[in-house]
Amino acid sequence: MNVLYFLVPLAVLLAACGVAAFRWAVRDGQFDDTETPALRILLDDTDD
Amino acid sequence: MEAPATRPTYDTGEPCAHCGLPVGPRPVEEAGEAFCCSACALVRGALREAGFAETVDRLRPLAATGGNARPVAPDPLGVRELDTERFLEEHTAPLDGGLREADLVLDGVHCAACVWVVERLPFEMDGVTEARLDLPRGRVRLAFDPERVALSSVADWLSRFGYALRPTRGDRQSGRSEAEHQLLVRTGVAWALAGNVMLLAFALYSGLDAAGGPFAAAAKWASFALAIPAVVYGGAPFFQRAWASMGMAWRARDPRRLHLDTPIALGVLVGFGHSAWATVTGRGDVWFDSVAVLIAALLTARYVQLRSRRLAGDASERLLALLPAMARRVTDDSSTEAVRLDELTRGDVVEVSAGEAVPVDGTVAEGESRVDNAVLTGESRPIPVTAGASVAAGATNLTAPLRVRVEAAGEDSRVGRLLAWVREAEGGRAPVMLWADRLGGVFVLAVFALAALTAAIWLVVDPSQIGLHVAALLVITCPCALGMATPLAFAVAAGRAARAGVFVKSDAATQALTEIDTVVLDKTGTLTEGAMRLVAHFGSDDALEAAAALEAHVAHPIASALTHAVPNARGEVTRVEAVNGAGIRGLVDGREVLVGRPDWIATETGSTAPAHLDAFVHDTVAAGHTPVAVACDGAWATILSVGDALRRDAHDLIATLRDEGKSVRVLSGDHPETVARLAETLGIPEADALGGVTPEEKQAIVQELQEAGHRVMVVGDGVNDAAALRQSDVGVAVGGGSTASLVAADVFLTQPGLAPVLRAMATGRTAVRTVRRALAVSLAYNALGAAAAVGGLVTPLVAAIAMPVSSLLVVTIALTQRVPGVDAPASPVPSATAPRSVPSPTPSLA
Repeated sequence: MNVLYFLVPLAVLLAACGVAAFRWAVRDGQFDDTETPALRILLDDTDD
Repeated sequence: MEAPATRPTYDTGEPCAHCGLPVGPRPVEEAGEAFCCSACALVRGALREAGFAETVDRLRPLAATGGNARPVAPDPLGVRELDTERFLEEHTAPLDGGLREADLVLDGVHCAACVWVVERLPFEMDGVTEARLDLPRGRVRLAFDPERVALSSVADWLSRFGYALRPTRGDRQSGRSEAEHQLLVRTGVAWALAGNVMLLAFALYSGLDAAGGPFAAAAKWASFALAIPAVVYGGAPFFQRAWASMGMAWRARDPRRLHLDTPIALGVLVGFGHSAWATVTGRGDVWFDSVAVLIAALLTARYVQLRSRRLAGDASERLLALLPAMARRVTDDSSTEAVRLDELTRGDVVEVSAGEAVPVDGTVAEGESRVDNAVLTGESRPIPVTAGASVAAGATNLTAPLRVRVEAAGEDSRVGRLLAWVREAEGGRAPVMLWADRLGGVFVLAVFALAALTAAIWLVVDPSQIGLHVAALLVITCPCALGMATPLAFAVAAGRAARAGVFVKSDAATQALTEIDTVVLDKTGTLTEGAMRLVAHFGSDDALEAAAALEAHVAHPIASALTHAVPNARGEVTRVEAVNGAGIRGLVDGREVLVGRPDWIATETGSTAPAHLDAFVHDTVAAGHTPVAVACDGAWATILSVGDALRRDAHDLIATLRDEGKSVRVLSGDHPETVARLAETLGIPEADALGGVTPEEKQAIVQELQEAGHRVMVVGDGVNDAAALRQSDVGVAVGGGSTASLVAADVFLTQPGLAPVLRAMATGRTAVRTVRRALAVSLAYNALGAAAAVGGLVTPLVAAIAMPVSSLLVVTIALTQRVPGVDAPASPVPSATAPRSVPSPTPSLA
């Protein structure tokens, strides 16, 4: 059970990575427009 | 008001043959079908070629036809501003390699096809390196090289597809999105921490706590460590607002001033403090999980609220983009140059084309035309002007180009002063406190009373457990659900209303909509169409059609009334001759047709009007309309009655307001006689309908009504209503109103007509009812929780289950509200977005 002393902080560290990624995504403006990107995928890639 | 030159072949409400949205005033025609934009026409063509057209037609009923997108005619002068040095400096940001980035308003974007067209810009135009469209907000971000491409040519390219590119003004945008980002990060962090605390709490609840030992202590210490940032960082906004409201309550010596954030902050603080103490001493319960989840849930509700407010904020910002900032100055060699308004000085001469708004206060130096002052004064009839006449900024020049000598521009003009006042008043307005917030003070007092009761009871039963049970009480009664009820219910209501064409700028306005007892209506443009329309005609229909065919060739208010009434008049016009001030003559299908003033027709035909037509002329004049006579081949054929017609839903609106027991008044700047006649038609007592009222008097009358204890709603559309709209408890600007009125109003409508006024009121009522219901549920939960806590029944596990359940209940109530007349019965495809384009107000300062 002593492995918990290692695993719990590791889990928290992983969560911190997730939060950091989320923070980056927000700053990058990825949540500003939640609709257009969904439509953009329907468009052809550049044809030239 | 559309420029007289553009004449829709299709009704602007006609659905696009491809995407089903209204085609707007400038539809694209192809293969006998009308499209909203070239992109849709292209896609439709491709589908037809591939043999899919029928399939699409079958699928179409599934597509929701919401939205109210109609492109605003590109303003050639405004676009020139995009190229000025100062615009580049103030509104674009430098990128690497000499590129600049601009964030611009783009009107008229509807659908995926529009995304495709706009984002093809970099491949179509040399010098544009990137174009990203934000469809729901109607904004485009461009990266371009100012050396190689001018923004105005980008605007020209976009306008070919029916999109109007406009400069953005003000920097409030960046501040707002920064605040939104911050809150979102805070919410995310709070949920991550809450999640981890909950994992540890699961272990504690499922036996670890009871077993005790080093693992239990370690789990508590770990929860403590995670809860510190949750409370300090996540809870900061609540502590700040609670502190501020405590200061206010202290200064006013009134505990009812306490905001709802005060009991929230109290609950969080006590829950956290007690748990920290329990962790350190190793005795007692820990509540870290409840506290962390509480903060995260409340932050989520705040974020949803902020995001829904953005809709109205964005829309008001687009209104500012409509204010004209450019004028055409006449230079010494008589050519013209585009300059910014703030560069004009007294004595300069500017040119105003027909159909444009007059940019300055001044006198006419050259030219002869008619100007429409409806937006400024409420007068419904255009006024003829010649050299020497004075014109005011905001008036629309209708028939011929004018040169105007500048007397006052910008903030010095009458409209400018009015706008400045409106902006100033925005900050100084007494805040309407939502009654949900007023609960805060009562709540704090009740909680303290209960805490004292609990302490007293446990003093008798078992003094060693006092701290335990008081802490339990404060945690379980923490008004989480209560704190979420108001923001969520209002946010959902605002989103629903926006989709129905009603933009409410604040929650306070939503609430105030349900509290009004007096409605003040403007006449021109609000109760009436605000433009000349054919009201009635008497005589031959053929002659009417011939007259319409003839009038299609001239720009004149009466001509546009006729072409509006008969949009596709048949008849080949071979000769047109306008006789200034009298009428127009021409050859239609080989017949000589005269359209004009009855006395002119009498002179031209050499005969007076036949008795039955003459009677109609008299009736027309008596009704306050303008009679126009039509003669064919020298004989009187028909009489047209042209005037500012009542909106079709005006009667409905007034009847409904009356039924609801509200008193209805009309205040107008138009001639008292016209107003009296209109009041008579609508059944409004003469004393309640005033004409010839100046904007300042309108405001004063509204103020008087308020001082007499009435809650007043003002419905208007013009610059002359702006002050009254701002003064009122709720100002409602109708669709197509002037920019000033839209800026001044609390509620603005993006759909034409008066029906949305009732829709706005229905939305307000539903929102307030939903808030009440949610508050009742959460108060009931709090009462139960408090009773259990006083009795010593609340353990951390009970709190961990009961608190989220009550919040979920409130969220469900907020999300499932239905507004009669606004929410269509279950549309299969949810149209997820809100404002695709702004109202379409007069593209003028006005």
